[in-house]
Amino acid sequence: MHDSIALESLGVPTAVIVTRTFLHEARVQRAALGMIGLAPVVIDHPLSSLTEDEIRGRAAQALAQVENVWHGTHAEPA
Amino acid sequence: MQPVYDPRGVVRADERPLSPRVKSLDGLRLAILDNTKWNANKLLRALRERLEERHQFASVSYYRKESFSRFAAPALIERIRAENDVALTAVGD
Amino acid sequence: MSAQIAADAPWVASLPEGTDLVEWYFERGFTDGLPVVPPTPERIEAMVAALGGDPEKVECRVPPRWGALTRHVLAVNMVMAGCKPEYAPVVRAAMLALCEPAFNLNGVQATTHVACPLLVANGPIARGIGMNGGCNAFGSGNRANATIGRAIRLILLNVGGGWPGDLDKSTLGHPGKYTYAVCENEPASPFAPYHVEKGFSAEDSTVFVMAAEAPHSVTNHVANDPQGILDSVCSAMSTIAHNNAVSSGHCAVVLGPEHAAAIARHGWTRHDIRSYLWMYSGNKFREIAFDHRYGKVYNRNLPVWYRRDPDSRIPIVPSSDNIHLFVIGGEAGRFSAFIPGWGHMSSPVLREIEGGAGPAQVGPRCVDGTCYL
Repeated sequence: MHDSIALESLGVPTAVIVTRTFLHEARVQRAALGMIGLAPVVIDHPLSSLTEDEIRGRAAQALAQVENVWHGTHAEPA
Repeated sequence: MQPVYDPRGVVRADERPLSPRVKSLDGLRLAILDNTKWNANKLLRALRERLEERHQFASVSYYRKESFSRFAAPALIERIRAENDVALTAVGD
Repeated sequence: MSAQIAADAPWVASLPEGTDLVEWYFERGFTDGLPVVPPTPERIEAMVAALGGDPEKVECRVPPRWGALTRHVLAVNMVMAGCKPEYAPVVRAAMLALCEPAFNLNGVQATTHVACPLLVANGPIARGIGMNGGCNAFGSGNRANATIGRAIRLILLNVGGGWPGDLDKSTLGHPGKYTYAVCENEPASPFAPYHVEKGFSAEDSTVFVMAAEAPHSVTNHVANDPQGILDSVCSAMSTIAHNNAVSSGHCAVVLGPEHAAAIARHGWTRHDIRSYLWMYSGNKFREIAFDHRYGKVYNRNLPVWYRRDPDSRIPIVPSSDNIHLFVIGGEAGRFSAFIPGWGHMSSPVLREIEGGAGPAQVGPRCVDGTCYL
């Protein structure tokens, strides 16, 4: 989150992708750094052990969320 | 009465607003920042393909962190800012 | 059990006489699983005084929660751990070292790996407060070792928010997450102390912190020369199992006094030892790549200048300076230990403890490796 907060602070709308397991940590980090409006893009966990097809599936999960972050219409998953 | 103490310390940060959002992605310069975690590059590549099907970016530039665990170097962040309008980064896992 | 994030001012409450305070701190989720010493105003005041007063002074902010470690909060956690006030400069120096950017405490707190901070103290302060660098140094029975390490852990939990299953994602953890603090056995060491090798004077006192796995014991009851003893250490190092093998970075080697004495009798120095260990340990790239059974492996966590041919030797760490050598342990027993690190994602930090004797020049000053001790 730190990098995306840095970029947002400098005027660059940033879509940051986290897996669901790390959503809580992302929320804590952004609160600690003061940018509570930065809603991450959330994909299913895990990512590191996936096949190419499964990775494409994660990309599909992320696609609309990424566009919404840049447009300001992204609602962070619960 | 017996006193008890909170060992946690406060978390206090000045609130920082987001940067302004964009209406359209056409004509914008896109930065992709890979934090070098396993499969982050593959995810970003797949996403890039999908995004390029849907939008006409002026440019798409790819950047990599030196270490997946540390914060990106200020010089890298500044370079991304100078060269781009929107950014995509992965992955927190 | 994880504590909630406190965003408001630090509170103090008053409970009725007869309340079981030990149970109360357990119930609030403020402990490491062991009972804590309920702080009293007098104990906290003594601890803050030992830190130099000014209880609201923020020493650092502790990730990943970025809670503010004021001297008051530091004192509360130290009293809970069972520390004496004279330990305060050591715990503070350790926290400041851990919060230096090079250490990357944020990453160490959150990682799925077992690594946790290891503290090795050097100099007169460590001796003066009674830290144990001798028999059973990594074991139990010494108040300074036990409570200094414990205070650090309580701060990492309470102030840093590094609760297991919450922000601390360590798959397994290791017992060092209760306490992992020792000092070097300077009186029994035939070599210069660690901090002198790194440029301090013997009269300075320092803390060294490194993100570390648990110690791996190295047995050698046969060899009485440097090569034999160090070949056993190299054997412990030369495995693909620990994190240095695949993530590079820094590691520590502990020589027990019997081993250290045997090596010193042959005239070897610290530099000779670290160089030998670096030279004669390692893995083959094919082992790290699993013979490419799961796809072609490059491994970007290893330096680009390592060759990636199947039989290329992959050093355990990139340089002999990434091997941090200490003489620790009791004077009986032919044992040493290898302590792997986390990887390139964290660098150890060596920091002076305030309140020491100051820059008294005793012995050679070694800067930039110009003095091979």
